[in-house]
Amino acid sequence: MNDQWTDRLSEYVDGELAAGERTALEAHLGSCADCRATIEDLRKVVARAKAIDDRAPKADLWPGVAKRIGAGKVFDIRSRRFSFSMPQLIAASIALIVLSGGGAWLALGSRPTQGSAVGFRADPRVRLAMSTGRTDAAIADLQEVFERNKSRLDTSTVRVVRQAFTTIDRAIAEARTALEADPGNAYLNLHLADTMRRKLELLRRVNAIAAAQS
Amino acid sequence: MLTILTAAVLASLAPPPLQGETDTTFAVPAGASLSVNNFGGSIVVHGWTQNRVRVHAEHGSRGSIEASVVGSTVSLRASSRHGAPSVVDFEITVPQDMALTLSGTYTEITVDGARGPISAETVDGSIDVRGGSGIITLHSIQGSVTLADATGRIEVNSVNENVELSNVSGQIKAETTNGDVTLAGIKSASVEATTINGDVLYEGTITDGGTYVFNSHNGDMIVSVPEGANVTLSVATANGDIDPSFPLPLTATAGKHRYTFKLGSGSARMEIESFQGDIKLRRPAEIRERIQHKKDRHNQEN
Repeated sequence: MNDQWTDRLSEYVDGELAAGERTALEAHLGSCADCRATIEDLRKVVARAKAIDDRAPKADLWPGVAKRIGAGKVFDIRSRRFSFSMPQLIAASIALIVLSGGGAWLALGSRPTQGSAVGFRADPRVRLAMSTGRTDAAIADLQEVFERNKSRLDTSTVRVVRQAFTTIDRAIAEARTALEADPGNAYLNLHLADTMRRKLELLRRVNAIAAAQS
Repeated sequence: MLTILTAAVLASLAPPPLQGETDTTFAVPAGASLSVNNFGGSIVVHGWTQNRVRVHAEHGSRGSIEASVVGSTVSLRASSRHGAPSVVDFEITVPQDMALTLSGTYTEITVDGARGPISAETVDGSIDVRGGSGIITLHSIQGSVTLADATGRIEVNSVNENVELSNVSGQIKAETTNGDVTLAGIKSASVEATTINGDVLYEGTITDGGTYVFNSHNGDMIVSVPEGANVTLSVATANGDIDPSFPLPLTATAGKHRYTFKLGSGSARMEIESFQGDIKLRRPAEIRERIQHKKDRHNQEN
């Protein structure tokens, strides 16, 4: 899916299109199921973002995560906004992964600029690699923490956690493979993001348990 | 009140009446809460109508029970006199409305007859709760988690086992990684049930304006849709089939994988997604039959 309205859907969701453009887009929506679905997904991402608790980031992890995702500025939560175009769905969804652990919501504090939107017009496969690459790095950071602290856990617990990681990794790999064949698919993008979020959440939870074992 | 409570608790718990065993009862004021931390063993809590707490604990000759009072919270903690943590089996009877915070590492947790908020967390052990209201959070890594006859804001998760809720109402979030999520007899306008490798089964209400999200990567989704429900169903599967047992009016398709169906006014929103599995939409009676069949099979096996 990629038509003249693809990169304007976020503005539509935000109510920022001029009246004439809005009318034209709404006419287009009547005949374009892809754009309708994309709008639905954009609204879903925004709703999820707004629903996420603003927990404080872990002091020892956040600098590394922030560096990797390029979040250099701290924004006031009251002014945070969520605005995505379809090509940014992957990035937005995955940013939410980190966001749910506190901290990376900062990265969403400002609207994407025209420049960044232009950047996302590259090959969708490249965008996917960029976006998931950052999340992979965040996962790797937490995985490092797990490897450092796993000796605090019982070996059977470590085995079970590893089984869970394997299950999630397999799911991530399958979602990636499907996305390579259909990179613009909104469902697959969200599914990959959700699955990666699950791994981050599990890592955080297990690390917290390990840290509590003294 | 605090001084009296502290004195009562501390006086009643030390010294233990029998070596290796503690058995004592003390009064608590209304609104008091209980916190129990047990490294290994079990925590069994019963609710009763008295304003007293009875603590029975078997802890071996090297173990002991530490008690403290912070604010209005009575805390019980298993400890050991000689280094290695001891294994303690707690059986505690509490006022029905008492808020409970129960935690452990290698600990089985069972609650029966409670009516207040409950937080239970263990690493290696199952959690089985009957009753509770308000905020209820149940977390286990290696054990199954079951909750019945509860109401409130509910968050339940496991990592490697099944999660099962029955006769539960309120805002519900249930999650596991390797296991099934089974929700039966649910009354809720907000349900989220997810797993990576397992089935999700939902039998419950679909309330106008409600939100229902069911998600698995590698498992079937079996969801009941009552006749007359007003719901917009957004259904997505990458490699599975969509299998309704009743006529389903297709409203829209999006891409290769997502379909939207509108029933009645479409007021409630339900998302059902499984990457690998089938999506089975059934009437409640069909689901109940399936649940009963599963229970019968489970009983036969045990």
